[in-house]
Amino acid sequence: MVMSVQQTVQMAQRPAKTKPTKPAIDWRGRLLDRAPFLVACLMLALIVGIYGSLQSGVFSLDELNLDTAAAMTLMLAATGQTIVLLRGGIDLSIGGMISLGTVIAATRFTDDASTTALWALIILALGFLIGALNGLLISLLKLQPFLVTLATWSILNGIAMIILPTDGGSIPSWWVGFASAQLLGLTSPVWMLLALLLFWWWFRATRVGIAIQATGSNEKSAFLSGVSIARVNLVTYGLSGLFAAGAALFLVTQTGAGSPTIGKDYILPSVAAAVIGGVSLFGGRGHLAGTLIGAFVLTLIGNLVFVLHVSSYWQPVASGVILLLSVLASSVAEKAARNRAQ
Amino acid sequence: MSAFLARNRLIVLAYAGMLALLLVTALFSPGFLSVSNMRSTVVLAAFVGIVALGQTFVIIGGGIDLSVPWVLNSAAIIMALLCGGQDLPLVWVMPLLLAGGAFIGLINGIGVAQFGVPPIIMTLATNVILQGLILVLTGGSPTPSAPALIQFLSVGRLSGFPVIALIWLALTLVATLLLSKAAFGRHLYALGTSATVAEFSGVPTARTTILTYVISGLTAAFAGMLLTGYSGQAYLGMGDAYLFTSIAAVAIGGASILGGSGHYLGTVAGAMVLTILTGLLPALNLSSGALLIVYGAVILLTVSIGSETFAGLGGRLRRKEG
Repeated sequence: MVMSVQQTVQMAQRPAKTKPTKPAIDWRGRLLDRAPFLVACLMLALIVGIYGSLQSGVFSLDELNLDTAAAMTLMLAATGQTIVLLRGGIDLSIGGMISLGTVIAATRFTDDASTTALWALIILALGFLIGALNGLLISLLKLQPFLVTLATWSILNGIAMIILPTDGGSIPSWWVGFASAQLLGLTSPVWMLLALLLFWWWFRATRVGIAIQATGSNEKSAFLSGVSIARVNLVTYGLSGLFAAGAALFLVTQTGAGSPTIGKDYILPSVAAAVIGGVSLFGGRGHLAGTLIGAFVLTLIGNLVFVLHVSSYWQPVASGVILLLSVLASSVAEKAARNRAQ
Repeated sequence: MSAFLARNRLIVLAYAGMLALLLVTALFSPGFLSVSNMRSTVVLAAFVGIVALGQTFVIIGGGIDLSVPWVLNSAAIIMALLCGGQDLPLVWVMPLLLAGGAFIGLINGIGVAQFGVPPIIMTLATNVILQGLILVLTGGSPTPSAPALIQFLSVGRLSGFPVIALIWLALTLVATLLLSKAAFGRHLYALGTSATVAEFSGVPTARTTILTYVISGLTAAFAGMLLTGYSGQAYLGMGDAYLFTSIAAVAIGGASILGGSGHYLGTVAGAMVLTILTGLLPALNLSSGALLIVYGAVILLTVSIGSETFAGLGGRLRRKEG
């Protein structure tokens, strides 16, 4: 009722103003909206700039291939995390899924291509199913994603430790070689990066993609618009598990072995990469391109620390500071946008 | 009595679970209920319980503190370095490090309350920054052994009781008074239930939020020093396990991760449950992998019992009262 009165007042006032003009494009508003993403781009440019001025041959295809390979595991994990964050949730279980994926690969992959391919498919299917189970628990029992995925992280990690108690096992060399396979001068990780962007360009406009983002912005209005929240949760966490499994399959090309504990190194960095890239933890806002840039930023800090000849222990300090700076930038931009709206 | 049960259903359940677990454990390994074993279980649970004290306050206020591991680890390492195995420096080192822990909490709280940074990100950032700084400081090398006084606090006994258990008991009393009797406690529950409503009701939300993180910084730093005494030495990574266990203890103790509910008395039971489980599995000849699976299952079970779907009678009684 109050709203409608205000609207009537506004409508009554409008003709009293100057003649109606074509609505101008709100450039400042758009800029503010994209500020976190732009800050991430700026950071990446800065890091690459410094790196490039200290090290020769940074602006080459070789360097691109190398850095993308180094960042790809995080990128895959963070892609799943981005989908969950857009839904307004969080997935800590990807750590367990990544560990589980690497130990299954390290104990089951053989030189026989068809066996290995079958197990790779099983790992991916397992990732989707376990993720979907997270989603099911969250919607059926109305549980908090943080605690559900904390619990499943622990369970998956435990299973991984039972399958392979310590780092080890072996990955067939042909699977390891996949990460350095080239096409048109670009290695497969770079092609995977392009594929991820292509996937996103397609996915965000699909019915499911739209439903996930709508639910993340406002669960109630999404539900009232006919979105099945249970199905959204199922797909959201299922995809997160699927991408975590994909991350595991890629990770073993880099390590050549399985590890029951390696996954935990990707849980919070995957959230950090998304947040640096401008994805909101409150759901509904963000873009995979930002996340991928965030993953590059986090990976390249390591290179930067190396060429600056300082202790590698500065790397976590730098990534923490960058994380804080970017989240402060987005919170300032968000405040400015809110002030404009009022 | 029934009203008490309805209001504190989850806390009562946590204690019931703890007792059941004790009985089951005693069945499988008869020596488990012996005085010496119970003593060592309580000592181990005290470390989880002290770290989880701050975590409880933060979670009731609707936040989360991921900076616990390296606040704990930093306090442990710096204490060992500054004391060099001597007792005397503790006179100024302990207050200094407690202040340091409180300061990190202050930064976390200001970031969350004043700048609107999501707690997960704010505390994650301070955690990795501290981790890096400590690594730079020590260069990854081990530190001198713990002063004897700290060892006494964590493994010593006073007329048969472990000193740390007495410390834990005292802290539990303080936390209970803060939550149940002080204005701060009422503010905290109001803040966790709805920050907006609390703000409009005149609750100093920013100050209350900041205070929860300060408490968490304090308890993590304190636990770090005590843990150094327990293991005889400070080492890198000694706090890592406490991120999971502190949150798990709070969750098992019946607090909602959304804030506004729960009590430190529940967390105490949660810390005991986690520690008894750690002792149970070797008795059953199970691996550490199995322990992680059981941890996960217990968390899932307790949060399911606490969820709306399972709220059942207790929830209905509560609604009638309200």
